[in-house]
Amino acid sequence: MKRVQFSSYFTQYFFIAPQLAIILIFLYLPIVQTFRDAFTIQDAFGFGRYFSGLDNFTFVLSDPNYITALKFTLIFIVVITFFSCSIGLLLAVQANNVIHGKSAYKTLLIWPYAIAPAVVGVTANYFFSERLGILYNFFNGLWGFDWYDNVYDAYIYVFIAASWKQISANFIFFLAGLQNIQKSIIEASIIDCKSSFRRFWTITFPLLMPTTFFLIIINITYSFFDTLGIIDTTTIGAPSGETKTLVYKAYIDGFKGLDLGSAGAQSIIMMLIVLVITVFQFRFIEGKIHYN
Amino acid sequence: MKNLFKFFIALVTASFLSLPTIAKPIELHYWHGHTGKLEAIINEIADRWNASQDESVLIPTSKGSYEDILAAFIAAYRAGEHPHMVQVYDAGAAIMVAQVKNGVVYPFEDMAAEYGVDFNKDDYIPGIRNFYADSDGKMIGIPFNSSTCLMYANMDILEAAGVEVPKTYEEFEQIAPKILEAGYTPLLQSHSPWIWTENFFSRHNLLMTDGNNGYDDVPTTTLFADTPEFITHWTKVKEWKDKGWYDYKGRAWGDNQAPFIAGEAAFWLGSAASFSGMKGVVPNFTVNHIPYWDSITGGKEYPTFIGGAANWILSGKSDEEYAALMKLAEFMTSPEQQLFYHNMSGYAAVTYSATDLANEIGFYEASPYHKAVGEQLSLTGSTIPGGYRAGNWPQIREVLYENYPKMLNGEISIEEGMKRMDEGASKLLAQFAKTL
Repeated sequence: MKRVQFSSYFTQYFFIAPQLAIILIFLYLPIVQTFRDAFTIQDAFGFGRYFSGLDNFTFVLSDPNYITALKFTLIFIVVITFFSCSIGLLLAVQANNVIHGKSAYKTLLIWPYAIAPAVVGVTANYFFSERLGILYNFFNGLWGFDWYDNVYDAYIYVFIAASWKQISANFIFFLAGLQNIQKSIIEASIIDCKSSFRRFWTITFPLLMPTTFFLIIINITYSFFDTLGIIDTTTIGAPSGETKTLVYKAYIDGFKGLDLGSAGAQSIIMMLIVLVITVFQFRFIEGKIHYN
Repeated sequence: MKNLFKFFIALVTASFLSLPTIAKPIELHYWHGHTGKLEAIINEIADRWNASQDESVLIPTSKGSYEDILAAFIAAYRAGEHPHMVQVYDAGAAIMVAQVKNGVVYPFEDMAAEYGVDFNKDDYIPGIRNFYADSDGKMIGIPFNSSTCLMYANMDILEAAGVEVPKTYEEFEQIAPKILEAGYTPLLQSHSPWIWTENFFSRHNLLMTDGNNGYDDVPTTTLFADTPEFITHWTKVKEWKDKGWYDYKGRAWGDNQAPFIAGEAAFWLGSAASFSGMKGVVPNFTVNHIPYWDSITGGKEYPTFIGGAANWILSGKSDEEYAALMKLAEFMTSPEQQLFYHNMSGYAAVTYSATDLANEIGFYEASPYHKAVGEQLSLTGSTIPGGYRAGNWPQIREVLYENYPKMLNGEISIEEGMKRMDEGASKLLAQFAKTL
């Protein structure tokens, strides 16, 4: 086979230049700036900047509200990932079995994926407002639901709002995963085992593991970073800051409070958390997954 | 065909070149934090200004909320794309005044001395003038939309319960059971940090931070836990909530206002500017001074702080632009325009000549709602400064927002909550002090 080669270095650099420029400007430059903000103290306009060592980090970590946000974020990630994945899987399995009107079901289930998080939050607001909310009144009738006052009720509110959107994303990928499984394996398993429940857990689900692993990572990133708009349009951290995620807190401190040093330090802490989670996933979970 | 196309291009180019050169009016960009009806009023002011002269064009842009606008304009400033004039709210006053020394803000008084025609500093009502001035009393911001917290009362409910509008919280405690009995929520309130914290202190002539509210020295701590009157107030608020006399609907402004608009609550504490949105929506309501504790002030009524925002002129623009801006500022503070704004929005008139004009034409007899804001702001006798200069205040408000619900639902005691608020605030004040 003939290797394709460029005649000069110039041509290849010329072709990758746009890509490199985008990466440098939109990825590496902000990271450098974040580090600079995190280790310096400055006013909102960037005047009077001086090196402050780890001051911003001790300031952030000694804040009890930051610890609250950290705990909430971890709970949030686990709950959102679990519920949106399992409901998405359930719907995908059901939609895969439907014979009539298959594409209608699929289209309807995919729709919510196209909605921006902030819009999801505003929509959820209608369901959970005290005056108009169907769900507010329904839950209120069951156990006196009141997210203005009760931490756990506020949790339920943001959990529902944030996982609803993600269910459809998971649905698409699981459905694609299910359709990729070879018919012959499924047919062979039907001969071997009568129980469809057992067939699912011993044959179908293991074959879906690559998809599941991918979706878990996607969902963790989603609940970590993309839910800012949802928090901002639903509880704003109600009842008293317990439903603030780390990203939301960094946003409040950086953009509303104009404290760039603290927001920079928070970003770096988040970067470390994501790094740890990702390394953990690839080291310990991926090894147990069998790609075809 | 090709020739025809060339001919067409030539024709278009020629027509542009041959156009007589018209002097383009100077564009003045104004970023503000108003939406809805208040934004429509600002657009109306801009239309009036643009129609009144052809030297400059005012282009107002709404940037969302007061917090959003501060972030948006700082980002724009750092990119060198800032507008000529920007509206910044009370909690941002400390940041803006501090930026004069870095040359971000062009003090209004300096601009008036350079380009002003008939600028008269003494015409501005002192309380309003001083809130946006530096420690020497030099005007930095241009007073514009000045509000304060007021009490809205639904007169139909009061009649049904057979009670009068209370002047003090003691009187409120007398009538609250009757309102509750008549089937209504007695009281709601929309901004705990602003109304029941900052303005609790001003209303009762108490200092809120050390360093004389930050006017003498950079403040290092708030005085919440050290003020027994403040603890008493919140102890009472919790009692009211437990008895159903006061209802808390989270921290969103609108959620707390909604029951009043729906005619389910007798009293609502909100902003003077809430008037524009409620006129014609809520039947038969009145606007009153905010209550005070008779037991704390000994029967005396003190003024509240100015709320709302001021317009700030930014540096880095040309002489012509500043001359045009000064004319615009004079137009906006002219008695006629102010009265229009006062009437439409509910914000206070900021100059004596505007209030004189209002009295002259009998405005307050025709519209008694508008009286309360000016009256409450012009009360005298305070020994504390007419504002506070504390940095990181937007985040300190977050600390307060996070602790009040815990105190109200009994998760922590009032004293513990006050202590936590002081601790949180001191840390943020120290963090801000590092940037000075």
